[in-house]
Amino acid sequence: MHAYQDLREFLTVLDQEHQLLTITDQVTLEPDIAAAACALAKMGESTPAIKFEKVAGYSDARVVMNVHGSWPNHALAIGMAKDTPLRDQFFEFVRRYHLYPGTLERVQTAPWQEVVVDKDVNLYDVIPLFRLNSGDAGFFLDKACVVSRDPDDWDNDDLENVGVYRLQVKGPNRIGIQAVPQHDIARHINHAEARGEDLPIAIALGTEPLITLMAATPMLYDQLEYKMAAAMQGKPYRLVKTSKGLDVPWGAEYVLEGRLLARQREPEGPFGEFPGYYSGCHNYPVIEIDRISHRKDPIYDSVYVGRPWTELDYLQAMTTCAPIFVQLNSEFPEVVAVNALYTHGLVVIVSTKTRYGGFAKAIGLRVLTTTHGLGYAKIVIVVDADVDPFNLNEVMWAVSVKVNPRGDVFVVPNLAENLLDPACSPTGIVDKMIIDATTPIAPDIRGNYGQELDRPPGTAAWLDKLGALVKGLPK
Amino acid sequence: MSAATTDQPLPICPRCRSATTEIHSTSPVPGVWTVFGCPTCHYVWRSTEPEQNTNPDKYPEVFRLNPESLSELPVSPVIPPLRPPPAKS
Repeated sequence: MHAYQDLREFLTVLDQEHQLLTITDQVTLEPDIAAAACALAKMGESTPAIKFEKVAGYSDARVVMNVHGSWPNHALAIGMAKDTPLRDQFFEFVRRYHLYPGTLERVQTAPWQEVVVDKDVNLYDVIPLFRLNSGDAGFFLDKACVVSRDPDDWDNDDLENVGVYRLQVKGPNRIGIQAVPQHDIARHINHAEARGEDLPIAIALGTEPLITLMAATPMLYDQLEYKMAAAMQGKPYRLVKTSKGLDVPWGAEYVLEGRLLARQREPEGPFGEFPGYYSGCHNYPVIEIDRISHRKDPIYDSVYVGRPWTELDYLQAMTTCAPIFVQLNSEFPEVVAVNALYTHGLVVIVSTKTRYGGFAKAIGLRVLTTTHGLGYAKIVIVVDADVDPFNLNEVMWAVSVKVNPRGDVFVVPNLAENLLDPACSPTGIVDKMIIDATTPIAPDIRGNYGQELDRPPGTAAWLDKLGALVKGLPK
Repeated sequence: MSAATTDQPLPICPRCRSATTEIHSTSPVPGVWTVFGCPTCHYVWRSTEPEQNTNPDKYPEVFRLNPESLSELPVSPVIPPLRPPPAKS
C-alpha cells in the first residue's frame, strides 16, 4: 500500500519508474494532445504517462494524459510493484475493498487554494481544454471527481458522492453533465429538483490516482468513495471542505465550485464514448461555475477515450471487476475471480468451482442481476476454478473444448442495457448470452472429460527456477 | 488555418448554422487562437481546428443538428414534480 498525497507525487514516482514521458516541444491543443494519447494506447500494455510542457496559446500550461493508462501505472497507482501480474492486482484490490470503511482526515487548507478566481470566471483561461475526437460537441472534462451531497440528508457523510461524470464545457462558466438515472448523483439531483433548489457541486481536477479509481467504482449509495480510498491506501484520506460544505481532496490541482441549476436541461454531446462509438445528444443538466481555485502552476490531467483499448479501460478495469466479484462471492463462495475488463464489463468472465451440474449456468445468470451486470454484462463466460479468467489463452482453451453449443450456450432475450451499447435494439434493450465453459459434472453428464492433461511433475519448481534465470538474462 | 481575432465578424455555428455565436475566449498568448461557442446547440470550437470542426459546409452531416428539434432530444434524468412546501406550524 502507498498513499500518494497528490498527483505530483505520483508523477515523480512514475518518472523514477521510467513510466513518464515528457514532451518539451510545443504541441497544439488539437489535434496533438489527443493524437499522442491515442497513439500511446496503441503501443501495448506497459506504456508510460505523457506530460506536455508547452501548449500553443498558453504561456505556462501543463497537461498530463495516460496517467492510469497501463498495467504498470495501474499497479503503481494502487501502491504495488509495477510488474505485479494482473491477477495479483485483482486479488489485492479485492482484499482491500473488503477493508471498507477507512477514515477521513479533515484539514483547513490545501495547495489548491493558492489562486482563487471568483469574478469573471473563465474556464478556458485557466484550464488548457481541448477536443478529444473530431465528432465531440466541444471540450470535455472527462477525468474529474464530481462531489455532491444529498439535500434531503445534507450532513450525512456516507451519502456524499464522488463520481467521474462526463462534463462538457459549454461556456466560460457553464458545464453540461451526463447524469443518467443509475448514477448516485442522479438521486441528489432528483432530491434537489423536487425541492426546487440548485444543487451545490464541487469538481476536483488533477487528483492523486486512487480517488479517481474509487470515483469510477460503482459502490453502494451509502458508501463514501473517500472512505474506500482510505481503506485502499491504508491511511486516512485527507480532505478540505469548500465554503458550501463539500469535501474535496487536499491534493487536487484545480477545484471548481458551482451549482447544478434546478429543473434545467439543455443539449449535451455527442462525446466519443467507451464502446468506441459516439454517445449521441441528450438534454442533460447544467452546472454554473462561480469560483475556480487552483495551484499556482496547475497540471491538467485528462483521459483519452476512443475505440478500446485506451487509458479509460485501465481506469474502469479493477473498479468494475471488484464490485461484481464481491457481490457474487458473498452469495456463492465458489466464485474465484471475475474479469470484467472488456468494454466496461460488456463481456464478463467468471471462474468458479462447480457444486453440481448446472451450477455454472446459475452463476452466469446471477452476473446479469448484479448491480453492474444489470446495465452492462451482455456476454458472460463461466470457466472452471483452475482457469485464470485474466489469461485469455486459458479462457479460449476452455471455450474451445468445454463448450458444446447445444447445451452450453443460451440467450436471454430483451434485457435492460446501457444506452451507449450500440448493439441495443431498441436503445436500452439487448439480448444477453451465457456461455458455460466449465467441465460438465453430475448430474449433467455430457462429453468425454475423463482424461484431461496435467503438467509433468516438477513443472512448478522449474517455473520458479526459470523465472529467476530469465529475469537475470542480460538486456 | 489561422487564428480568428475579435475584430472579425462572428462565424455561424458549424453544427446547427445558428447565426448567433459568441467568443468564449482568446488565447492567453495573444493571437494564437479564439474559442467560439453556440448558445443554441452548445457546440464549441477553436479557430485553429480543421475545417470539419469549423466550417459549416465541411462539418460532417451525421453530427449536424437542427435548432428546431433540440427540444425533442431525450431528457435525462427526468425532472421530478415539485414537492408541496412544508406545512406552516
